[in-house]
Amino acid sequence: MSTLTSTPETRSPGSPGSGPGRSGRATPARRAGILRRALRLRSTQIALGILGVIAILALFGGALAPDNPLAQNTGAVLQGPGGAHWLGTDYLGRDVLSRLMAGTGRSVVGALEAVAVGLVAGVAPGLASLWLGRTFEWIALRIVDAFMTLPYVVFAVAVTGIFGNSLNTAMLAVGALIAPRYFRIARAAALGLTRAQYVEAAELFGASRRRILRTHVWGKILPTIAVTTAQALATALLIVSSLAFLGLGVEPPLPTWGELLSSDLDYLAQQPWAPLVPGLLIMITAGALNALADAIRDSGAVLQFDDTALDTAPDAAPDDPEPLAADRSAYGVL
Amino acid sequence: MSGQAAETQAQRESAGTQGLERTLAYARAAVRIVSVPVTVFLIATFATYALGALGGANPAAEVLGQDATPAAIARLDHQFGLDRPFLVQYFTWLGHALTGNLGKSYFTSIPVSTSVGQALPVDASIAVLALCFAVLIGGGAGIAAALRQGSRLDRAVTLICSGVATVPPFIVGIALIVVFAVFLKVLPSGGYVGLTADPGQWLRFALLPGLALSAEGAAAIARQLRTSLVGALRENYVLGAAARGLPARRVLFRHVLRNAAGPALTVLGLEIPNLIGGAVVAEKIFALPGVAQLALQAGTEHDIPVIQGTLLVTIGVVLISNIAVNLALVAVNPQGRRGTRTVRPQAAARGAAAQPTAGAVA
Repeated sequence: MSTLTSTPETRSPGSPGSGPGRSGRATPARRAGILRRALRLRSTQIALGILGVIAILALFGGALAPDNPLAQNTGAVLQGPGGAHWLGTDYLGRDVLSRLMAGTGRSVVGALEAVAVGLVAGVAPGLASLWLGRTFEWIALRIVDAFMTLPYVVFAVAVTGIFGNSLNTAMLAVGALIAPRYFRIARAAALGLTRAQYVEAAELFGASRRRILRTHVWGKILPTIAVTTAQALATALLIVSSLAFLGLGVEPPLPTWGELLSSDLDYLAQQPWAPLVPGLLIMITAGALNALADAIRDSGAVLQFDDTALDTAPDAAPDDPEPLAADRSAYGVL
Repeated sequence: MSGQAAETQAQRESAGTQGLERTLAYARAAVRIVSVPVTVFLIATFATYALGALGGANPAAEVLGQDATPAAIARLDHQFGLDRPFLVQYFTWLGHALTGNLGKSYFTSIPVSTSVGQALPVDASIAVLALCFAVLIGGGAGIAAALRQGSRLDRAVTLICSGVATVPPFIVGIALIVVFAVFLKVLPSGGYVGLTADPGQWLRFALLPGLALSAEGAAAIARQLRTSLVGALRENYVLGAAARGLPARRVLFRHVLRNAAGPALTVLGLEIPNLIGGAVVAEKIFALPGVAQLALQAGTEHDIPVIQGTLLVTIGVVLISNIAVNLALVAVNPQGRRGTRTVRPQAAARGAAAQPTAGAVA
């Protein structure tokens, strides 16, 4: 028996093989066509436009800001929107618009960092779990299950409490919890491919695992990973903001979106509309990322895999695919 | 054992043996439902304990301050049990934790179980309230959308659900405060009264946090329930039930919902960590004296036993809720129910055939 056809008991026995049928089509040229089709959608264009603006703000927000985001002005605290300060001032008289623009960088970098950690620490073991034998697979799945039970925010509170409060520590903690999601997605996406006839054929021809991974698996799961990444970024942005809201990963007086919201909270009676702008900014960014994820998914480049292979775990009885298999979107995992 | 062999065997066996086999199958299912969480619990608690050790904090030195002599530090290390091998420390800690002893705060010497015990009911009561809201609002919206598929209501539910997914949980909380506390002035913006102390006051304080926390879960349930209901409503047995003249309400609640509830329940299980994570933020918005405030406070002092204790309790709560969701899944699954009432050889054989593979995984 070949090492590539991995252990049968993880293939939920009752589930109809989703098979790699659809996946055989995504040649590079074809994929480029798919991307172009996704780009032609109005929603994709809008989402990319928003993300472009956010990226510019993240890179140059501090330089473009009309005011010094750190300059306090005790003579003009808690002012409403007006000519001098378009979005008003906060409780220390700092210009809110400038703080929003200057805070974009740290909010975005935080989310990117967490997702990068999750991507690296999740995808590689996820793929490896299909090839490295049962013991590794079993241990990896249990570790993944264990980390899936931890709520992001609680874990980040604990980790920053133990290792010290900084943006990097908080984001490493969040990344450690994003990794199991990537693990499951990568594993489920590649699972069907290991059963594909062309993979078996390649194996019979004596292709190395590395070659099979690189030429037959990686390119096919890439769109799936891209969808997950867009969604993970949206999730991470919300988590980063939640943490900043709690004062984690915040290094005062440097602003972030979440920190702006948390300082608004104390002055709701005077400025009930103040949370609106940072809140909307977070929502629009997360919404654009989700729209992008949908566009990539709908473009047809993404594998359709059955995630009963996601298996295991406190949330799904492993041998009982029938009630769970129905309608569980593989993308709902994040 | 192949399914066919088991089938013929089951047909030959007397009803009594079938009963025994069924009991065994249920016992195996119970072991499986429990064994995975136990493994997960061990790994997660090990990670929790290892985190504290990896932190490299020197609690004795921190407690004693800068003028501590090495001998005094060693004595305190011994008192905290920090001079023993790591694995011994872990299993001692876990053993104590399972008997309700989570150690003492390095700084205040208050037992961690006491402080967690005071804080946990705050979160638990609000989380349960939020769960009720999520099931009621999400369930209602999901059912309504599925019954009027393609209508304006259906589209509105879909739109709101995808909108809620992009809203950070604290935005909902802030919005609720602005509407109900700042403008309408009908509910307090924060604070807490114990449920046992004064249920009426408790509800006044818990209403807004409960609502804020329920938003995400409600959206997830509504979306999932709508999808699975739309599928289930097209099944032939629905047509059959209608043809037999059963009232629509009965068909919906007794037949369709039972079949469609599985995925929604699974989603609910997946939402529970989110719910707890959201509770952390809700505590801050609504000034609730909960577990997260305890953990945040402990974090500023590197009070490791308190941090470990709160994380351990969180893991425990998530796992117990997962087990509860799995049990509920078994309860609503018609396949399982059929097995308990009339023994059907096919069903028994299918159950038996599924066991060995599942056993290997679990």
